[in-house]
Amino acid sequence: MSSVPRSVVITGVGVVSSLGDSPAGVHDALALGRYGFGPVSLFEVSGIDSPVVAEMSRFDPKVYMGTGNLRPLDRICQLTISAAHLALVASGWTQEMRVEHGVGLVLGTMFSGAGTIGRFDHIGISKGPRFVKPLDFANTVINAATGQASIWHHLRGINSTVATGSSSGLSAIAYATDLIRNGVASALVVGGAEELSLESLFGFHRAGLLSSSGAEGAVPFGAARDGLVLGEGAGLLVLEEREAAASRGANILAEVTGHASSFDVARGGCAERATASMSQAIDQALEDAGLTPNELDFVSASANGGRLADRCEGEAILQSLGESVPVTAIKSMLGETLGAGGPIQVIAALESLRTGLLPGIRGLTRVDEEIPLKGVSDRACEIEGCRALINSFGLDGNACAVVVERT
Amino acid sequence: MNRVVVTGLGVVSSIGIGASAFWEHLLQGRSGFSPVESFDTSKYHVHLGGEVKGFSPEDYVSELDPASVGRSSLFAIAASRLALEDSELDLSSLDLSRAGVSAGTTSGEPNEIERFDDSRLAGELESAGPGILTRYPCHHIPAYVAAELGFGGRNIMLPAACAAGTYAISHAYDLLRSGKADLMLAGGADSFSRITYSGFAQLKAIAPERCQPFDLNRQGMIPAEGSAMLVLEPKDRAVARGARIYAEIAGYGLASDAYHMTGGHPEEEGSVRAMTHALRESGVAADEVSYISAHGTGTPTNDLHETRAVKMVFGEAAYRVPISSVKSMIGHTMGAASAIESAVCALAAYHDRIPPTMNLTDPDPECDLDYVPNEARDLRVDVAMNNAYAFGGVNASLVLRKFRG
Repeated sequence: MSSVPRSVVITGVGVVSSLGDSPAGVHDALALGRYGFGPVSLFEVSGIDSPVVAEMSRFDPKVYMGTGNLRPLDRICQLTISAAHLALVASGWTQEMRVEHGVGLVLGTMFSGAGTIGRFDHIGISKGPRFVKPLDFANTVINAATGQASIWHHLRGINSTVATGSSSGLSAIAYATDLIRNGVASALVVGGAEELSLESLFGFHRAGLLSSSGAEGAVPFGAARDGLVLGEGAGLLVLEEREAAASRGANILAEVTGHASSFDVARGGCAERATASMSQAIDQALEDAGLTPNELDFVSASANGGRLADRCEGEAILQSLGESVPVTAIKSMLGETLGAGGPIQVIAALESLRTGLLPGIRGLTRVDEEIPLKGVSDRACEIEGCRALINSFGLDGNACAVVVERT
Repeated sequence: MNRVVVTGLGVVSSIGIGASAFWEHLLQGRSGFSPVESFDTSKYHVHLGGEVKGFSPEDYVSELDPASVGRSSLFAIAASRLALEDSELDLSSLDLSRAGVSAGTTSGEPNEIERFDDSRLAGELESAGPGILTRYPCHHIPAYVAAELGFGGRNIMLPAACAAGTYAISHAYDLLRSGKADLMLAGGADSFSRITYSGFAQLKAIAPERCQPFDLNRQGMIPAEGSAMLVLEPKDRAVARGARIYAEIAGYGLASDAYHMTGGHPEEEGSVRAMTHALRESGVAADEVSYISAHGTGTPTNDLHETRAVKMVFGEAAYRVPISSVKSMIGHTMGAASAIESAVCALAAYHDRIPPTMNLTDPDPECDLDYVPNEARDLRVDVAMNNAYAFGGVNASLVLRKFRG
């Protein structure tokens, strides 16, 4: 561990999402207010009446994985490998370079391969334990996607999976940033992935957190919001120590200048305490980046249409940053992709900084009066500047905030 | 950079709850195996497990409702309470916003997904509760520990399968040495599961009668459950409060094989790099290592690969370093294993005693190192290394050192 903190830069990104697989394309769709919510086609739904989801119904892993053997890989493994492929190509890390330098992988996920685990258990109890397949068993461990992606992409460094609930992906970026700052690693593929599964969908349904009216209700900070739309996807970034990246001639997209995580011991049981915890994450992330609130150019909010969570986050933004900071909430269009959410927000934010265009919050015709944010709009708006704050807040305890600066 | 020390240990295992009962029974070579009770094994070809018996959550959980928390989380809470008690820390003197929890697991709360599947199969999903959201996802383990204890600092789950405990301890060590926390509870937890049992049974990796690592006739591992949590503090704070210091964390090494999901690398690539890196980071030469706590599952391949890897790293010194596997007594506790074995290393460094590898009666000519067969040994332990290997090609080595002020 070196004693002088090192600068951590982003040298490539990759995304697979319900709005496409190129950062510019996804951002264009967000700026136009597009979204693709619909019924579930991936699995048979039981226990829930016609839920609306943001599914990647046209995802084709062969586009990214060629003729490789897809059989041992479940959906979350394929999503992770595909986004990692795009990020590695964009960053210029060839297989030979990755092997030589021991590039690692840090992946955040909330439900991991819950669908695979459920199917494996289902066979065991319905047909008998002698009918389960060893190939499937390998994917029942929570770090399966991290392991499979490291094998596919020859990533021999640290191989770590991070779980902090819906903030898992952004927490993975924070964790990886520290590994590089502290000199434990010099180059990491990092981000998050989440697949839609009956398990996760049923959980959110049962907890009363899904929007009962789909797109109409899943409007972050909206007056009539009534819950979230669950989505899926993967977002991966290549993080490197700045000097090493510069010396290999990498294209440096941005720097991760600050991050902070907080934990609400009441785990969402008290709105004031949840707000204070979120506000603390924002304050400390800015402090870590050496910024004052007015030096921030916009916020990518975690808000997804949840009644309480959006209010707590809105109040935290008001407390920490004031009412006029521009705020977007792209889950209004991509849905709540849990572990993938934070990293996809980072990737979209880099595009916003590059293009000077901040996506609006889809459907936000009337802002909740209890959340008097002035910098929100249902339309994309032009912005200037180079610094964005990304929030990823779960209502069950963990809040993570990251500051990125375009170079 | 702060130095980081271990000042409290909490263990929940099939041979004892609490670090002293666990340690005493480990040195006696007790077995924690019994016929599986948590589900019906009549359709399996194996029936033994290392289940934790006589565990009463209400002895440890006071702030939360134990019924609202999964079994792995309950184990982790119990291990945390026991570790804090062992550390004699006065929590009221601490800034709890700088006290965190870093935990590892293989399967999180597998019983919760099993409960969900039972409801689904019975066609009663409508009546299933929200446990699949409020108890199942693995981040709940450290989160429930912190909610029970009021720890508002860094809260993170690092599910690195059977090396997860070492990943969690390594991360806590980084947070403490870089000054991002004043106190960390770090370790791992897993609970007995028909999913895990079915999988290992199909891999033909479960031993039918006994777990005998490094023995010629070894037939596999025995799945088990439990938790260990370690209290980690910056050295200066621990010394200032006059704490009993079990050991100092010297360094760690993490490396991926990037080769196979469930098997090791044919040339021991990742495990060698993890050990080598851990020694280098710790500033320890291979011949200075007094004791190695093996991953030692008892499967034919693991024990052979592990023996080869130790020889590659330690050279001739490999024949002089005692190596033992506590899995011969408590079985494979999955995500808890490397946390429990880190606690074993800390206890060994403190007491200058090392636990045996039980059931080792017929040595395998290819496993020809000193595995401390069948009897505990008095030994000066200046440096202990804990090795852990996991699904996903994950390798982790942790080095602990006797504390010398």
